[in-house]
Amino acid sequence: MIRARTFIDAKQQSHSNAELNWWIFMRISGLILVFLVLGHIYMTFIQVSESDATFTAVVGKLANPAWKFYDWLILALALMHGTNGARYSIEDYIRTRPNRAWVKGVFYTVVALVFAFGTIGLFSI
Amino acid sequence: MYKGREGQWAFMLHRLSGIAILAYLLIHVFSIGSFIFGERFYMAIHETYDWPVFRIGLVFITAGVVYHAFNGLRIIVMDFTGAGVAYQRQMWYAVMVLTVISGLYAAWTLLPRLLGGY
Repeated sequence: MIRARTFIDAKQQSHSNAELNWWIFMRISGLILVFLVLGHIYMTFIQVSESDATFTAVVGKLANPAWKFYDWLILALALMHGTNGARYSIEDYIRTRPNRAWVKGVFYTVVALVFAFGTIGLFSI
Repeated sequence: MYKGREGQWAFMLHRLSGIAILAYLLIHVFSIGSFIFGERFYMAIHETYDWPVFRIGLVFITAGVVYHAFNGLRIIVMDFTGAGVAYQRQMWYAVMVLTVISGLYAAWTLLPRLLGGY
């Protein structure tokens, strides 16, 4: 049972290892993304031309719930996978604590906004 | 730079390709998602992406994703099997071969569209 009064107490008393969970998440999401993203690139870049991705074509394709789900799955998994990967890099290369704090703050905000924007876009059609 | 040979190059390229893909993804979500602002807004961005520079950039994004995907599989094999660690160098060269082949294939399919302007 966790009887924490402060965040530090909670951290010390928690049994789960967040870092290990992220490590496992990177492997599992990576494995799924191999198929999703390579399939997406094949269907939207190799098979069709850049000039085929017109407004009408995009809106028409995304009206199908199956593509909506496919694209949203890529959006969610790739953003989490990429954000965690970038977090590893930030922690490795940004040396001081205050710099790490604001770089992460700005970066997580941008990612959250893009995720919200993409989700609203997908489900607004 | 620390000269850890193939293992170190694989690590560096994995990070670089990962950051490049993330940067592309953030821009991609915005530009494709911009259809919610209407057709004119979307097409204004999209016609800029029709410039050859951006089209050729997609070939590099493809190669970067293929590298990141297959090197990621190499990492998973290394993490869960001993043989994966023993053969990490050979697997990295296999990943590089796949990356170059798919980059060339993407460029090959792009070329006629680039010349034909469609």
